[in-house]
Amino acid sequence: MNPVVEVSHLRKRFRLPLDKSNTLKYRVTHLRSSSRYRDLVALNDISFDIPSGQFLGIAGPNGCGKSTLLKILCRIYKADSGYARVNGEFSAFLELGVGFNPELTARENIFLGGAMLGLTRAQLRDKVDEVLAFAELEEFAEQKLKNFSSGMQVRLAFSVAILGQTDLLVMDEVLAVGDASFQEKCFDTFNRYKREGKTIVLVSHNLASLEEYCDRVLLLNHGAIVADGPAAEVAATYHRMVADHALALERDIPVELSQGDPRRSPAVGFESVGLLNGSGQNTRRFDTGGEMTLDMNLRVHRTVGDFVCGVAIRRADGLLLSGTNTLLDNVTISGQLAGDTVSVRYTIDSLPLLAGGYLVQVSVHDVGGSDIYDWIDPAATFHINDLGDGHQGLLELRGRWQVEHETEDVLVRSARQ
Amino acid sequence: MTVVAQESGTLEAIQRPRSVFQRNANLVRELSITSFKLKYTGSALGYVWSLIKPLMLFGIMFLVFSILLRVGKGDTDFPVQLLIAIVAWTFFTEATATAMNAVAGNGDLIRKAYFPRWILVVASTTSALLTFAINTTLVLMVTFALGDLHLTLRSLFVPLFYLELIVLVLGLSLLLSSLFVFFRDLGHIWEIVSLVLFYGSGVVFPFMLIKSQTLLDLAGLNPVAQIIQDLRYSLVVSSPLNHSMVSLIGALEVVPIMLSVTLFGVGFLVFNKLTPKFAESL
Repeated sequence: MNPVVEVSHLRKRFRLPLDKSNTLKYRVTHLRSSSRYRDLVALNDISFDIPSGQFLGIAGPNGCGKSTLLKILCRIYKADSGYARVNGEFSAFLELGVGFNPELTARENIFLGGAMLGLTRAQLRDKVDEVLAFAELEEFAEQKLKNFSSGMQVRLAFSVAILGQTDLLVMDEVLAVGDASFQEKCFDTFNRYKREGKTIVLVSHNLASLEEYCDRVLLLNHGAIVADGPAAEVAATYHRMVADHALALERDIPVELSQGDPRRSPAVGFESVGLLNGSGQNTRRFDTGGEMTLDMNLRVHRTVGDFVCGVAIRRADGLLLSGTNTLLDNVTISGQLAGDTVSVRYTIDSLPLLAGGYLVQVSVHDVGGSDIYDWIDPAATFHINDLGDGHQGLLELRGRWQVEHETEDVLVRSARQ
Repeated sequence: MTVVAQESGTLEAIQRPRSVFQRNANLVRELSITSFKLKYTGSALGYVWSLIKPLMLFGIMFLVFSILLRVGKGDTDFPVQLLIAIVAWTFFTEATATAMNAVAGNGDLIRKAYFPRWILVVASTTSALLTFAINTTLVLMVTFALGDLHLTLRSLFVPLFYLELIVLVLGLSLLLSSLFVFFRDLGHIWEIVSLVLFYGSGVVFPFMLIKSQTLLDLAGLNPVAQIIQDLRYSLVVSSPLNHSMVSLIGALEVVPIMLSVTLFGVGFLVFNKLTPKFAESL
């Protein structure tokens, strides 16, 4: 049996013009500079097949080429070389409600949206009431779309989008819309598609949602496939990639940044931010359960009253894991004279974090919080080593297991049998 | 294992028609009806406006040229000729001006959905054609009822000239709409070209007023002039001031007709060549 999708040596490059060159004036005044472009390689030699009935996820960081790949699959972009072939009918859910017109009624939009899918007026005529019922919009059939709430519009758009009989469904993170009861309906529909053996491609930067649904995940980075396999395996690769990315960002704190930036109130500024392990060594690599000390040196440029120092730890993609400051923890940093230096240390005795890359953000501000003296994000990056103990996720919660065996009453056991 | 919850209503999908032509024709119809409808909703007079506009133009041109400047004196049918010409001209200019934006103005559709891109241009032309068809029918019916039409064997050519006009408009629309995506000055350039064409095609004066044969030959090469002149000749009484284009420029008449067909071909080729770049450029 032929695969539903065949992608072979696909390449796509975008030429981004460096100037605005589509007006006559520009062409006349810049006759010789017509070739000022910057090339952006969006896809670089991508090949894969999707067998019939597979639920494939495509993941990757922003700008990895996943949207470009999707648009080539849907024949919106044309590849520079190679090909992407879809054997059969496909439905694209790149955005819901494409082609809808706000000035038309719900009923009229069903005909218009259906026509965009390739369905004829005659076919749709018998179906309109069913679509309206599915979208729970029966009473609003003759209302103009512009008077609908966004939830109602999404419901109508989704109901129309699933009308086209299809062999392949291509979706771009549209699932995160609509109210809970309607989302349930969406998932029902997708589960039905899955049961019917339809091939589905779902693009998302949220690996968790892909893990839940997909048989297989492709991970893209810089226009190439860097991992291809079961969702859990690919997720591990992805997290390693994010961590490496965080390490690449690693840098020492540029002192001039904290002193010379005029946007910052110059009263107090960071001079250095360092990370120390349990033995007091400067490092970027820590172990789960190990000690970590954030060592901050502050210089007072102008005499100030009491002030507050804050620390936050983020995952490499920006998710805030923990944030606190001296005020919240009832620690006072008393007022200082200009020229003084202050050393502040924040120690975590036992890091609860699992393998991955993390960022540290630091700030100093006045007690009221209205005057931010200095704020650096990220001020440092660190990496938690993979201990290879198989623990998954972000945090080590140090839960305790307890298993008790009780010998069941012989009578009860025999009664069960 | 938990019992799978009852599915909250399902919507069975519809099998798309096998014929691609049927799908495309249906989409053209839906899009053109929509834009036709939207053009007239919200205004109190609605469709009447698309009749008032050419009538006003006719009124002004009639006043200025026929009464004040006494152009076309001695030709009692001139008002009818003017009216037919203005209705055809209005179609030409409105259709091409609207089509210019048919691709560039639908960036959202082009970036988010797949369908043959020419459908946008054909739908835009079809929408203008609907207005034109209704206006032409009304004008022909009224002038016929008033006895101003002179239907003879040569009137049999009328559908062919209308067809030529549609081919010309479609060709230009394909060309303009695709080039406009990359070259936004085209909008202004086309306005100027339209103005030149308006006076260069003898919309508001009898073509015979051009005395120099060289100028006549030159102006007659313009398909818009040829179509308008031939329409008048085929529909209205012949008079010293109303001749067929053939009698004016002879065998050269082949040129404007070939030009219409060629422009369609060029428009088609250019549009197809540029189509793959639309989604990235909008």
